[in-house]
Amino acid sequence: MIKITELEKVYRTEEVETVALNKLSIEVKEGEFVAVMGPSGCGKSTLLNILGMLDDPDDGSFVFNGIEVAHFNERKRADLRKNNIGFVFQSFNLIDELTVFENVELPLIYTGVKTAERKKRVEEVLDKVQIMHRRNHYPQQLSGGQQQRVAVARAVVNHPKLILADEPTGNLDSNNGNEVMALLTELNEQGTTIVMVTHSEHDARYSHRIIRMLDGQTVTENILI
Amino acid sequence: MFKNYFKIAWRNLSRNKIYSFINIAGLSIGLACAMLIILYVKDEVSYDRFHKNVGNIYRITTQGIDKNGVKGRKDPNTGYLQGPRFAQNVPEIKYFVRVQSGSENIKTGTEVKDQDLLYADSTFFDVFSFPLISGNPHTCLKDPSSVVLSEEAAKKQFGTTDVIGKIIMLKDDSDFVPHTVTAVAKKCPQNSSIKFEMLLPIRESKEDASNSQNWFNFFLNTFVVLNSNANIQAIESKMNRFYNDDSKSAITSLRAQFGDDVDNWKSIYLLQPFLDMHMSTELPAQNGLSDASNPMYSYILSGIALFILLIACINFINLTVARSVKRAKEIGIRKVVGGERKQLIIQFLGESFLLCTIAFLLAIILVELVLPVFNSLSNKALAISYLFDVKLVAGYILLFLITSLLAGFYPALILSSYKPVQTLYSRFNLAGKNYLQKSLVVLQFALASFLIIATFTIYSQFNYLTNEKLGYDDTDLVVVNNNFKSHEQAQLFKIELLKDPNIVSVAPRNGGQWGTVAKVSSDSTIQFDYETVDEAYLPTLKIPVIKGRNFSAAFPSDSANSVLVNESFVKQAGWKNPINQTVNFWYNNKKYNVIGVVKDYHYQPLNQKISPQLFTMKKDNSFGMVYIKIKPNSAAASLKTIQKTYKQLFPVNPYSYTFKSEENVKSYDAEAKWKQIMLFGAILTIFISCIGLFGLSVLSAEKRTKEIGIRKVLGASVQGVVTILSKDFLKLVAISLIISIPVSYFVGNKWLQNYPYRITQSWWLFASAAVLVILIALFTVSFQAIKAAIANPVKSLRTE
Repeated sequence: MIKITELEKVYRTEEVETVALNKLSIEVKEGEFVAVMGPSGCGKSTLLNILGMLDDPDDGSFVFNGIEVAHFNERKRADLRKNNIGFVFQSFNLIDELTVFENVELPLIYTGVKTAERKKRVEEVLDKVQIMHRRNHYPQQLSGGQQQRVAVARAVVNHPKLILADEPTGNLDSNNGNEVMALLTELNEQGTTIVMVTHSEHDARYSHRIIRMLDGQTVTENILI
Repeated sequence: MFKNYFKIAWRNLSRNKIYSFINIAGLSIGLACAMLIILYVKDEVSYDRFHKNVGNIYRITTQGIDKNGVKGRKDPNTGYLQGPRFAQNVPEIKYFVRVQSGSENIKTGTEVKDQDLLYADSTFFDVFSFPLISGNPHTCLKDPSSVVLSEEAAKKQFGTTDVIGKIIMLKDDSDFVPHTVTAVAKKCPQNSSIKFEMLLPIRESKEDASNSQNWFNFFLNTFVVLNSNANIQAIESKMNRFYNDDSKSAITSLRAQFGDDVDNWKSIYLLQPFLDMHMSTELPAQNGLSDASNPMYSYILSGIALFILLIACINFINLTVARSVKRAKEIGIRKVVGGERKQLIIQFLGESFLLCTIAFLLAIILVELVLPVFNSLSNKALAISYLFDVKLVAGYILLFLITSLLAGFYPALILSSYKPVQTLYSRFNLAGKNYLQKSLVVLQFALASFLIIATFTIYSQFNYLTNEKLGYDDTDLVVVNNNFKSHEQAQLFKIELLKDPNIVSVAPRNGGQWGTVAKVSSDSTIQFDYETVDEAYLPTLKIPVIKGRNFSAAFPSDSANSVLVNESFVKQAGWKNPINQTVNFWYNNKKYNVIGVVKDYHYQPLNQKISPQLFTMKKDNSFGMVYIKIKPNSAAASLKTIQKTYKQLFPVNPYSYTFKSEENVKSYDAEAKWKQIMLFGAILTIFISCIGLFGLSVLSAEKRTKEIGIRKVLGASVQGVVTILSKDFLKLVAISLIISIPVSYFVGNKWLQNYPYRITQSWWLFASAAVLVILIALFTVSFQAIKAAIANPVKSLRTE
């Protein structure tokens, strides 16, 4: 599903040049659950952003589902993204002015799904993450675990092929964290590919394979199953 | 999708009350001002357009030309001959109508009152489209004793509009003469330069019509209707050719009487489009025509409205961009879940439209509320119902769209350009120097302080006009209009009045303002104002005689051949020793001897220069006005005596009086109104600028919460923090003053040039305006700065 070859990304400010990805090559197969680990600043999040087509690489190749996307323009990337990729962030990133229902509904609006169908699908997915009873609440009225469940619901409502999770349990206590991890595992079992960045060895153990990074390169890969 | 946008927009509005208030208040005030001005300007340009012939109606005007061919002043007036003679000899002229203003006594029962009249040719209703309620428009002015009443006049006189054939008694020279009502006209539209209550046939004797010397006697307005597509220049040259031929004999006869001076009396005839008349400053609507306007007013009002609207839009732009840090997350999320930039632009524009819609609705309510005040300020009778006009509605919709786009487009572009990676990982920081935001704040305050300085300037000039010493004493001075009384009648009135101990002195003089020319040496002629008074005039008004002596009843020759002149007269005549100089009224063979020089005094309002003035005591002149000095605090009793005496002596004359001091203040009505309009404008602009500044200071304090916390932990005092937070904004205000002061000096100076007597724009005027602006800004900013500075730093650091 994903094949990146010799990917490079450099951040430049006026005085400093930081190499975030240094000729990185990774492959992720369809249906895989991959964890990416490594110390702060090793390029994990940059990798995730490029995979999610939120950011573009400076050099190298990125093939997604057989299509070279490294040099797609913003519109094409947005198009590909909204139909194929779901995101889960450490800080949930829900829109404060929208209710739970409306937050989850948002991706469907942008992909042009009709109102009735939207309602059905949002309710389905809210049911799945067991937050249906809170559908009319605003994010501030929910606990962290509940917010992250909403974020997961939003990520999967469009039935994406790939979910990118950036430390999804980072802001949660262990109970809530486990719940979210169980949810991700369940999604993976249903066929969704997952790439997760994490600091937690515990969480990483849910995955099939752990990629360890340092200074923008992979160091080791451990296959868990 | 739009539902979602609307939801977000609405929730944003209702959650962020301060910003919503600032934006909506500012925009609705701005839009309301703009709407009022659109109404005003629309009314201005709609003047006289209701006439069917309007495109073909012209006024005959003249421009003086002297013997060397030098062109002089333009004059909107013409006389008896121009209309009929041009119409007869220039085939392109279809109709002509002469319109002359007048005032006569009207008698209802035994009561006599003054009545304003218009005299016009019987073609009046062929040229102008004033619909009649009853009567025949083509014949109603044919009979010399006919009268056409307006709807209101008919109701006033008879209580009904069904009045054809009824009789109205109007004074004609000395007797009341019956006039028969032949038609009743609908009320003249308020946007008409011609407004009449009573319309009479023009009074022209056979002698008037045949005397070619009347080519040189201008006192009425002549309008003509031309064939469509007529060539104006060709008609003008035909008119001038005919005039040069036809006036030859008159010039010859006048030359015998006045010498070669007549060569300076010639004119060039010009045609002024009727539609240009209302707003012409060169050839204004006057002499019986009403509501002459100056396009300057439209420009000034439009300028103020534009300022206010612009400042409100700047608030919107600045606050939206400044607040975008808070919305960056939302933008990032929307992009992550598939939102395209185009969609985000539409969303943010939609928000600005929503806000503008609310502001727009409020603005309509505001307009409705302030319209009466605005009407009285601008001398208009505008109504909200004018809004229901296709063009106006289109204009407002355009205004609404422009405002929404102006305010919304830039923020929409900026906000939609944020990169999700940056916004979602808190790497986002509205970095950069914010030059745009700063420049916009500078622009706002430059506009606001410009208006404040302008207001100060107008106030000081107005103060000067109304408080400057006039050179005479106008306290306790009653003016009675005496309706062209003879010297004997005036003296009789005076003797009777002086029997009351409350009446200090009585000074008859001529009514109105007269002017003429005379020779002051063998080769120089000067133009001057000509006053007929008696010996009591100067003492009553406490005007000093600085050389020679005042008139005296002890010298019988004074009323026969002595005159007094003022200082300006002496100066213009170039006399070193004015006493015993001769003033030669050569055209009626009279020579007068100067017996004294009067100190210059402002006999006209201070917006006019003191001209040369000459006083005579000639008994055969008329004394149309009486100045009565009464004892202080005796007004009630004195006025009773004056009225009683007048009614006893002149029972069939209307009685009216004014106080000279009130009359003087009244002559600055225009200035007083502009003073108020500028004040409103200045208050609104500074208010909207300040609420914008307040919003920015709130955001700035929020953004710097952490910084303030750290500074306080490290020992910064409250005062120190307030200074840090306020300094940046005050710097901007200071820059705006640096820009606005020279501009307002320049503009103010230009405006003051209109006044012969004016203040100088001294430094304190600018300094006090600057201090005021800085104080207001400081108050606005420090309010929030103090709040931020006294906040507990532990709180702010923990939440970070």
